[in-house]
Amino acid sequence: MTEAAFSLSLAILALAAIAAVMAGGRARLWRAGRPAKVDWMRGLMALPKRYLVDVHHVVGRDPYAARMHALAAGGLLGGSALALLALLPPLGGSRLFWALVALAFAVALAGGFMVGRRRYPERPARLSGGKFQRLPFLLAAYAGGAFLVALDAALAGSVWPLAWPGLWLAAAGGLGLAMQLDRGPMRHAFAGALHLVAHPRAARFEGRRETALAPLNLEAPRLGVATPADFAWNRLAGFDACIQCGRCEVACPAFAAGQPLNPKRLIQDLATSMVPGATNVAYAGSPYPHAREVAGIGGPDLPIVGAGAMIHPDTLWSCTTCRACVEECPMMIEHVDAIVALRRFQTLELGALPEKAAAPLAELRYADEPQGRPLAARTDFAAGLDLPLISARAGAEVLLWLGEGAYDLRYGRTLRALVRLLHLAGVDFAVLGEEERDCGDIARRLGDEATFQRLARANIATLARHSFRRILTPDPHALHVLRNEYPALGGIYEVVHHSAFLDELVAEGRLGVAPLKASVTYHDPCYLGRYNGEIDAPRRLLDRLGLARLEMERSGRRSMCCGGGGGAPLSDIEGERRIPDIRMDQAAQTGAGIVAVACPQCTAMLEGVTGTRPEVRDIAELVLEAVEAMPARAREPAT
Amino acid sequence: MREPMNVAVLLSAGHHPVSGRACPVPVEMQAIGLGNALGAEMTGLHAGPASETIADALGHGLARLVHLKIGEADDPLASLIAALGTEKSALVLAGRVGQGGEDSGLLPYALARALGLPVVPDASALREGPEPSTLLVEQALPRGARRRLMVRLPALVTVHPAAPAPLPFAYAARRRGVVEERAGIASPRGERAIEERAYRPRPKLIAKSAAGASAAERLKAATEAASGGGRVLVDPPPEEAAREILAHLRDIGVLRG
Ligand code: SF4
Ligand code: SF4
Repeated sequence: MTEAAFSLSLAILALAAIAAVMAGGRARLWRAGRPAKVDWMRGLMALPKRYLVDVHHVVGRDPYAARMHALAAGGLLGGSALALLALLPPLGGSRLFWALVALAFAVALAGGFMVGRRRYPERPARLSGGKFQRLPFLLAAYAGGAFLVALDAALAGSVWPLAWPGLWLAAAGGLGLAMQLDRGPMRHAFAGALHLVAHPRAARFEGRRETALAPLNLEAPRLGVATPADFAWNRLAGFDACIQCGRCEVACPAFAAGQPLNPKRLIQDLATSMVPGATNVAYAGSPYPHAREVAGIGGPDLPIVGAGAMIHPDTLWSCTTCRACVEECPMMIEHVDAIVALRRFQTLELGALPEKAAAPLAELRYADEPQGRPLAARTDFAAGLDLPLISARAGAEVLLWLGEGAYDLRYGRTLRALVRLLHLAGVDFAVLGEEERDCGDIARRLGDEATFQRLARANIATLARHSFRRILTPDPHALHVLRNEYPALGGIYEVVHHSAFLDELVAEGRLGVAPLKASVTYHDPCYLGRYNGEIDAPRRLLDRLGLARLEMERSGRRSMCCGGGGGAPLSDIEGERRIPDIRMDQAAQTGAGIVAVACPQCTAMLEGVTGTRPEVRDIAELVLEAVEAMPARAREPAT
Repeated sequence: MREPMNVAVLLSAGHHPVSGRACPVPVEMQAIGLGNALGAEMTGLHAGPASETIADALGHGLARLVHLKIGEADDPLASLIAALGTEKSALVLAGRVGQGGEDSGLLPYALARALGLPVVPDASALREGPEPSTLLVEQALPRGARRRLMVRLPALVTVHPAAPAPLPFAYAARRRGVVEERAGIASPRGERAIEERAYRPRPKLIAKSAAGASAAERLKAATEAASGGGRVLVDPPPEEAAREILAHLRDIGVLRG
């Protein structure tokens, strides 16, 4: 082994020690957080799979970034580990082994080069500057220097004039990387690994739906999150895992609409605020659009939200809870959980809601309906149609949950179409009528967990009085709440969305359809697609109707929100454009004459777009049209 | 700096106009908001049987609530008079009318008469007056007009729905708030000959404008008829004001001769 090579190994050992100290210092900050239940054994065992499969599934959507990361991270870790092993005499003495080390560092150097090429000459807006712009140089110095030393060792010291400068270069680059392990780009490596092991929603790696908000204990001394110390420690670790890739920023509808929300910046503000005496000055990515003025200071026990703190309330209330950020985040960070936890404190402890959101919550408290309308009027849309009440019969096969859309004139058309289809197909169904209260979705997303839990318990008690096999609903928000969030409060139901249900009916021949001649593009509701993974049934159904289906650039699980979720239309935080206008532009770009929707919120938001645009039709309306296009005789259900 | 004013807010047991469920009366929550804006030390006062939603006022920015327990058939007036006698409040705030009960809007007047307090109805904003023990009241008049008055305290002020929206409900604040239960004064309501009739919208009196008049003239006539006419006198000498009022009352037939 050459002397330079031996020194390199020692230097890497020293760097590893420095890195461990820096990482340890950062990890100590997380201890300010609340305890969390973590299955360590299981997490550690699952780490390779979570990293190699789940993380890379997300990273791989950007093939350049995936290759870049594989080379840089693989080469860096591999080369460093091998160089450390070289301290064992039999390995260190082997020229072949050093050739291997050199190869690993060459790979890392290539990765570092790709990092640089992505950032220079021009840095894409979604990537952060500052320390991140120095990253390619530090990587290149460390990997390149170490490569020269290893190469020299592999060639038995024949290129020694290169080895010594190489050693210094490697030491300098390595030191640069290790010294900012607590605040710089490299933090994501250790925080991210730990976050994968101790992830607060570990079941998402096992292919389970992990989109339900966790119930809040309303007896707790403090409701929701006010300071970083109110987050569980593994949530704090999660914020630290952010690599500022900006994928969430690109996906965020509120960011696109110029509202003061940028999920990347939000996570950075949360990560920064856990440091004692924190300020937000180091952030070098894109800001919150039209950012409201804040003091930008924080600390583990200081408030996070407020004009005198880190995050302005308008930022919090701009979110539609669409989960696009979560879907895109390669570090598996749970933005929506964090936003709702912060909202809960604002709503439950401070009563600091956006002005227009307070009234609907008050109506929900005293009338079980966000606009204070009579519950009995929910079925008014069906005037003249036969709409069986479940209380008037012994039960039904299918319970039709109407949702808030039933009060809306436009959406009433959709519901009428659905009811007619159910009759045509001979489905044994009934509605709750005035026994149906609001499902509590809006209250929960606005942070009013108390109202949500009251409504949920009342609905669960109502449902327990009736017998039915499954619940059918055209409202994905109600679907999500009934299917995924009521179980934690003791209500377990089989819930099916009308798109899947109609797809079944058409597939079984219970509804005969004639092909429609039109081109259509399908807009996935966030709460059906991302929250529940149902992206195939609606498409299958549209195909069965013989429609020419065109896809928008953002569709399926990566679809873009209509702007209607999370109580955002109530909070109504000002931006530059309206989210539905942006989405409608995307729909129009496909050239389709119809945007097919499957949610009352999407219907309302997209119907509100002015100007020449594709027609908005619910899937049920399209099915009814196809059924009516059948010659009358053939329409009878096949028996 | 002056000492924080001592303010009592009268709270009634309201009902939601649609669901019929017990609920706070919005205009009383607005009264709490006005008191908060004054930086006052506030106490809510409710006289009535046990109710679950009365304490919801604590979620709207009220820190303390005194519940005077009386029976279903008792008149709250006696209990309130007694309680306000001991509370020594400089200002008593009430909604202009309750919601879902008798809704006559008479209680504040009966109370003020018993306590010998002046009543200023329909406040939409309150500010500290220029001198100690005075209050500036902005009064909401029909058609969005506002009138500013200065009153000497103690006084009773009723609040108009045009006041700023109440503070949003905070669940934890309700949880933290204190309800003090005291026995009220049993005071059975006397037999009252109140006749209940179904609501019938009264026809609007529209000044008879010539059938052939233009739309603008008819609109003017229609809107002016409801405003009652009269004259506005600014700072008149008392005798002249009294003469004007008498003349007006004779005009509209309230006084004869
Ligand atoms: S949930 Fe949607 S709106 Fe909210 S931050 Fe994420 S991407 Fe933006
Ligand atoms: S939160 Fe996730 S997606 Fe957003 S910048 Fe950080 S790592 Fe990237």
